[in-house]
Amino acid sequence: MNILTPRPNPIVAALYTLRDLDVDVAILHGPSGCGFRAARLLEEDGMVVVTTSMTEEDLIFGASDKLIEVLHEADELFSPKTIGVVGSCVSMIIGENIKKAIVDSGLNHKAFFVDIHGCMGANTRGVIETLKAAMDFGLIDEMEFKRQEKLLLLATEVESNKGMAKSKYIKPSRGAELKIVADHITNLLKQNKKVAVILNAKKETVYLFADILLAINLASKKLGGSVINVGNLSTEIGLLRIKRYAEDILYNLNSNDVSIDFISGGMDEYPIAGENAIEYLKEKDFDLLVAIGIPQALPRIEKESIAVTNGPREVLPLEEAGYKYVTVEIASHSNVMGTREIVLSELGEAIRISAGIQ
Amino acid sequence: MRQIAIYGKGGIGKSSISSNLSVNLASEGLEVLLVGCDPKSDSTINLFSGKRIDTVLDLYKKGISDPDNMIFKGYNGVNCVEVGGPAAGVGCAGRGILVALKILNKDYYIDKGFDVVIYDVPGDVVCGGFAGPAREGYADEVYIVTSGEYFSVYAANNIVKGLFNINVKLGGIIGNMRGISEEENKIKAYAEEINSQLINVVERNPKIYESEVEGKTVLEKYPNDVLNIKFKEIGEKILSNTKSKIPNPTTDKRIRSILGGMY
Repeated sequence: MNILTPRPNPIVAALYTLRDLDVDVAILHGPSGCGFRAARLLEEDGMVVVTTSMTEEDLIFGASDKLIEVLHEADELFSPKTIGVVGSCVSMIIGENIKKAIVDSGLNHKAFFVDIHGCMGANTRGVIETLKAAMDFGLIDEMEFKRQEKLLLLATEVESNKGMAKSKYIKPSRGAELKIVADHITNLLKQNKKVAVILNAKKETVYLFADILLAINLASKKLGGSVINVGNLSTEIGLLRIKRYAEDILYNLNSNDVSIDFISGGMDEYPIAGENAIEYLKEKDFDLLVAIGIPQALPRIEKESIAVTNGPREVLPLEEAGYKYVTVEIASHSNVMGTREIVLSELGEAIRISAGIQ
Repeated sequence: MRQIAIYGKGGIGKSSISSNLSVNLASEGLEVLLVGCDPKSDSTINLFSGKRIDTVLDLYKKGISDPDNMIFKGYNGVNCVEVGGPAAGVGCAGRGILVALKILNKDYYIDKGFDVVIYDVPGDVVCGGFAGPAREGYADEVYIVTSGEYFSVYAANNIVKGLFNINVKLGGIIGNMRGISEEENKIKAYAEEINSQLINVVERNPKIYESEVEGKTVLEKYPNDVLNIKFKEIGEKILSNTKSKIPNPTTDKRIRSILGGMY
């Protein structure tokens, strides 16, 4: 199916994955505007992103010399341990020999090439290609690559079957009014009801989504009721950086006297962790489910449920799936870059206000 | 002003035909512009005693974009331009053609008062850029050079498919003979098969080769040779041609049948 809505692209996904791999510098071999918004965010997260700024002239004559120059400049300026060179539509279509340029630069001991461009399908393809390049370069082993590849294919499937890629065009929506949703949650707590919270977050967005879990727990402590906390917060699974995210969140929650009842998987296991979470909750007694992060990866259950997403185009599919309310955390990516602590979410704030928490 | 583009299989003699046609049209008192679109920049080489002229894209790289500085007077007063392009194996020659054509804008040609503009386009139309001279409203019509050999006609038919798809008129087929039996008849039959016409044929002739070895056209090396009359006839037929139309590509099976003598 040809989806009309612009979607996350493989080049940007490759850049994010280089960040996940703790690569120091990413060089985007393409026009200066390619991936600029993502580049700015990633710089806030500690990875330097530079571009070869290809021009029309470079498109005609090739720009391998320019890439070599930028490799040297980046090496001198930032003294990186590792450099990832990412392709773009332009450089890949004209068949730039990027591997040769890296060898010619003399930096092939620290730089590796990610063979990707914008016309290669889903964003997850960008992640897979980056991980493959990282494996070939020796940053990760084959087992880790295979594990992540499997998860990414499942993530693509989730988006195609239940998410924003399930229809040709999905109108963006901001979802339900936050005050109404917050009041609904706090009212149930006041009635001494049980709320199950599933945090099924994707990588760094956890710093924001975890705030909603925290806010519900704080509200429960003040108003009553009880909370079952489930989260994909394993500190044993995934890349070092991803495990660190989980450690940060668990530490933050612990500082607020909140504990997780069941770890449903790792932070990169969101396509399968949702199923583990629902399986765990099957035997539990609760009145409301709040699914946060990637709710579309959860099997639906016959319980009153609220979904919290960061995609305005995920709202409609989630409403169609039967969620009573769907809310959107619009700034999930921009707010979490560079942080090591849980950041205030919109719904979390609304819950705190509704519960009278300062 | 008449603008034509010459297409055909790589190595079939497009540049030979284009350059000899240009100098002979100039002999008739016409102001001719020959635009070489091959990144190898060798279309006009025989009008400069084997020397290469600065290309549009090389000059553009140096910040020069005035077409006056890109057109060079070659043998017999023919105005010559080479688009140029990347070295073999890098960059994108097709994009180069499109950019160069934009630099050499059509209005400029009209201001300059050229009577004939000939685009010599490289090889098969491998990407959108190579279709530029025909597609972007530069050439009024296309002429395809072919021999009677299968691969040459097959390539010609592929170009015809492109012209059909982009709705561009074919002026006719120019035969560049390789000495196979009944070659002219076969080329003519193919031209008619695709709803076009045979403009003329150029016999295999060592004088073309001998001229090119010295970096010359036949007119310069052998000014009184009858071959020049042939090129003049081709030029006259092109200038008076009123039968240009969108061609209908044929099938591979029909090509084999025609070349096998079933025409």
